[in-house]
Amino acid sequence: MKKFLALQVCTLLLVSGALGGMFGFTPVYDEVREGIVLVLCLSCLKLEPKTNADFTFKTADNLSHATFVLENLSHGPVFLHYSGDACAGCDVMYPVIKDLFSIEFGKQDMFFSIVDFENTSVPYIYVNIHHTIDDLRDAQVIYDKDYVRGIPMFTVVTLGYDNGNVKPKYTTLYGTLTTYGCETDAQRLVFLQQLLRQSIEMYEQNKAGYPHH
Amino acid sequence: MKLQIKRLISQIILFFSANLGYPGYPGLKTGFCYPFFYCQACPAATSACPLRSLEQSVDKGSFTWRLFLFPLLIIGFLGVLTGRAVCAWACPIGLLQRGTGRIARKVKKTPFARKLGTHKAEKYFRYTKYILLIGLVFVTSYLIGFIFTDICPVGFLTGTIPTLILNPGKFVPNFFFPIALVIFVLFIVLIFLIERGWCRYFCPIGALLGPFNKISFYHIAVDVDECVHCNVCSYECPMGIDVPHMHRDPECILCGKCVTACPNELITFERKGR
Repeated sequence: MKKFLALQVCTLLLVSGALGGMFGFTPVYDEVREGIVLVLCLSCLKLEPKTNADFTFKTADNLSHATFVLENLSHGPVFLHYSGDACAGCDVMYPVIKDLFSIEFGKQDMFFSIVDFENTSVPYIYVNIHHTIDDLRDAQVIYDKDYVRGIPMFTVVTLGYDNGNVKPKYTTLYGTLTTYGCETDAQRLVFLQQLLRQSIEMYEQNKAGYPHH
Repeated sequence: MKLQIKRLISQIILFFSANLGYPGYPGLKTGFCYPFFYCQACPAATSACPLRSLEQSVDKGSFTWRLFLFPLLIIGFLGVLTGRAVCAWACPIGLLQRGTGRIARKVKKTPFARKLGTHKAEKYFRYTKYILLIGLVFVTSYLIGFIFTDICPVGFLTGTIPTLILNPGKFVPNFFFPIALVIFVLFIVLIFLIERGWCRYFCPIGALLGPFNKISFYHIAVDVDECVHCNVCSYECPMGIDVPHMHRDPECILCGKCVTACPNELITFERKGR
């Protein structure tokens, strides 16, 4: 009887001590909050948001553009790719993006490259929200124009002309592009290629007026 | 106050506590994992599903020990204290099955259900939840990346359906939707046909909590020497346990129905000891 009680008490102390230690000395609370609770895995939801692919100047909640995006806009339209671990939709889109830019990188890497797309430089930034830095993760909120906060998410930032000023203009797509009628990898690739061509055209028209250029 | 009323109040309070995350009402989003089955994809969820954290910890051959240990320790802490009582006193899916239990109890009286319920293979079928936990949550996530939460019926119920209701016309189904819908329909049929059918056979969180019954402080004890084997307790048990012969059974959810039902008051909640 006493041995059993000792076993119970020891187990309780071990478990509660380990749990307290995890709260006190590891970032697990923030990891779960930022990486699971606040970010919606669209494949977990089994749904994809119906959004349009139109370019807009208005960021979510009128937040300022991310500094790293503004700097990279001097090279060409910026392609931001948000992904995550244990996300089936992200796994579907990952090879499509690699095909789009003919690049190779690990799913859990932080990856940045100025890639060549049809003879135009495109700064490509890959963000796995579970393996990244705050600046990159926080930028997801800025470009989440439809307030989905879901992954996978793709943002293309280019330049547009607005009331006498050249400003960043962007669009954001979510999920596996089912909303845009893409059911196969080939259709997804073609859709993204068209979107990039559109963004390059806008960029070429306006780049001369971009202050960082 | 009657024990079962107390349990109902506890379930209702915890259901609302699990749903304090809806933006503005009050929008509480924490970094905890639920100790029961509930989906973070629910628009009002405050915490993460422990299975999601576990899957993410072993995604495609990787291993993140923090995401692995964290949900296990939260479940373990409550498990050591109260065993599987979380299933009966806190889990919103338990509350749902409490609602469907009336119909399931009527079904239980039919000869076919009686025959099926007493079949010797039934007790082996209960191991399905352990197979689901190891196979679908850990092994497939680790080896091929396919994950349980993509087809989870509880995620469908608490995440997909509320999202569709709150945002009419704003979402389209993805490729997991049809599979998840079929599993969800089967889940609904199951809980109407078998009392606590999900908890008995399929719940991976129940599989995590169950073994803690063996060492938990709180447990149900039967005075076997005085028992007259009237079997009222076994008949009342929503988990279909042979109560007089159970000793710290991993299936027991400590709902206390047997405690209330025993005409001789020989079944009690115990706080410590064997």
